[in-house]
Amino acid sequence: MSDLDRQIEQLKRCEPLTESEVKALCLKAMEILVEESNVQRVDAPVTICGDIHGQFYDMKELFKVGGDCPQTNYLFLGDFVDRGFYSVETFLLLLALKVRYPDRITLIRGNHESRQITQVYGFYDECLRKYGSVNVWRYCTDIFDYLSLSALIENKIFSVHGGLSPSISTLDQIRTIDRKQEVPHDGAMCDLLWSDPEDIVDGWGLSPRGAGFLFGGSVVTSFNHSNNIDYICRAHQLVMEGYKWMFNNQIVTVWSAPNYCYRCGNVAAILQLDENLEKQFRVFEAAPQESRGAPAKKPPPDYFL
Amino acid sequence: MELDSDEKELKAAGAEPLDGGRLGLRIRGWEIESRKFPILNSSLLQQWEQKLQTSHFPEMIFGESSLVLKHVNSGVKIHFNAFDALLGWKQESLPPVEVPAAAQWKFRSKPDHQVILDYDYTFTTPYCGTDSIETNAKPGRGARWEDCDEKIDMVALASKEPILFYDEVILYEDELADSGVSLLTVKVRVMPSGWFLLLRFWLRVDGVLMRLRETRMHCIFGESSLPIILREICWREATFQALSLKGYPTDSASYNDPGIICKRLPIIMHKTQKLSIT
Repeated sequence: MSDLDRQIEQLKRCEPLTESEVKALCLKAMEILVEESNVQRVDAPVTICGDIHGQFYDMKELFKVGGDCPQTNYLFLGDFVDRGFYSVETFLLLLALKVRYPDRITLIRGNHESRQITQVYGFYDECLRKYGSVNVWRYCTDIFDYLSLSALIENKIFSVHGGLSPSISTLDQIRTIDRKQEVPHDGAMCDLLWSDPEDIVDGWGLSPRGAGFLFGGSVVTSFNHSNNIDYICRAHQLVMEGYKWMFNNQIVTVWSAPNYCYRCGNVAAILQLDENLEKQFRVFEAAPQESRGAPAKKPPPDYFL
Repeated sequence: MELDSDEKELKAAGAEPLDGGRLGLRIRGWEIESRKFPILNSSLLQQWEQKLQTSHFPEMIFGESSLVLKHVNSGVKIHFNAFDALLGWKQESLPPVEVPAAAQWKFRSKPDHQVILDYDYTFTTPYCGTDSIETNAKPGRGARWEDCDEKIDMVALASKEPILFYDEVILYEDELADSGVSLLTVKVRVMPSGWFLLLRFWLRVDGVLMRLRETRMHCIFGESSLPIILREICWREATFQALSLKGYPTDSASYNDPGIICKRLPIIMHKTQKLSIT
């Protein structure tokens, strides 16, 4: 058994690698990811997965439903880390699979694959807690800069973490972005990772936060038409039923973190496409409480004042 | 049958757990129950859109969860739920808070047909609980909160009396699209001498401001047929800029637990009230 296979087995048991193993793994991953396009080509059949957010044991449920890699070809739409308890093990397992089977798993970048966001929402603290230093966080966030920004399945299905950008009308415009950087606060790359479809706007909307685009049905229609694609598949937003179509089946949100943050009680979904691009959503629930080391459901009594 | 220590404690205080698998207890004329359910699904959310006349909601609404405290003889019922809290949000309707990146975005070229949404995405609510009188109580009975000089006895509450029942119920939560947190929760603890609860709205818009709106209620069990309930409402607010001028840290990670940092936020409103039942 090679070192890599042994590491994959170890990560599947939710046991993290050593710091030097992480460093070596990231170097190998970088060589593979740097060759990928901003619009990475993916062949069908493929299974598309949305946000995971460090919910390692729920991702194991996902693999039970979807099948193991490399038997199943996977596309993950980003947000591997933050919020959950096992961002380190989750991301490293996906990265190790990427290095071992580069043609059977595609990882694209979510808005949480960023230095700034991970310092606030958990991944940074988790690395510090588990390794006693921030080196592993540095290796991983350096790799984030190499992750592709989107994928194109059989030239027919465009996949991205967040959504569209008013600065982008063609896939070629995405191909010209210099992606090897921290996610910027504005511009095309930022929009692809952050924007959301919104029912109540028809064209473009600006979020009340003063930053962040919302896009309506007509924007999606014209993008799909000019790029000759059937629909857009994205993640980024929690949907209680695991997936949600909008704008007459022109865009679908896929969410793969069941019982999000260990308290929402939602189901999750993955989208399986066969060789003819026939769709099947597979809905799944969170791992049973006893099979993961999460805190007990009942909060301990607290003398709050 | 051997009673475990929890059951012995309950029995000694004259309390019994609720039946039918419900979470909570009966004690000294009160029935106290917490109900916890998953977030609203799409079809329930659509009903809420109709009822509240809005399509903007926190991304996690625990719409069927609640905390209910019922005084059986007087008919007084105090409860906490997301729907009433969001009604309060709609009525207060604060102007939106711009995130730091908004400054840069003002220089971006605007796409055609751009609409700027301007609802209060922080879901700030003045909600401090819902009170009502159950219809089977004395006809014509009413209850209202009146300002008073008494204070909740925090010293007595700090004593380590046994806790017979404790729970925390999340009513709604939003991650503000990874720009902070908006969270409304209520926690309760029931002791042999009375019950105490804390409803807390906590908002942090990263790099901009924090808001903490808290309602505490305390009821000391007594012999009177009508319960005596005090509530203290305290609103605190500070901008990150003001905190930085005072020399406090301004990274968001330092402000994850409002319980720890609340003293850094100046009080902007405070009052104590007593429930007057007539």
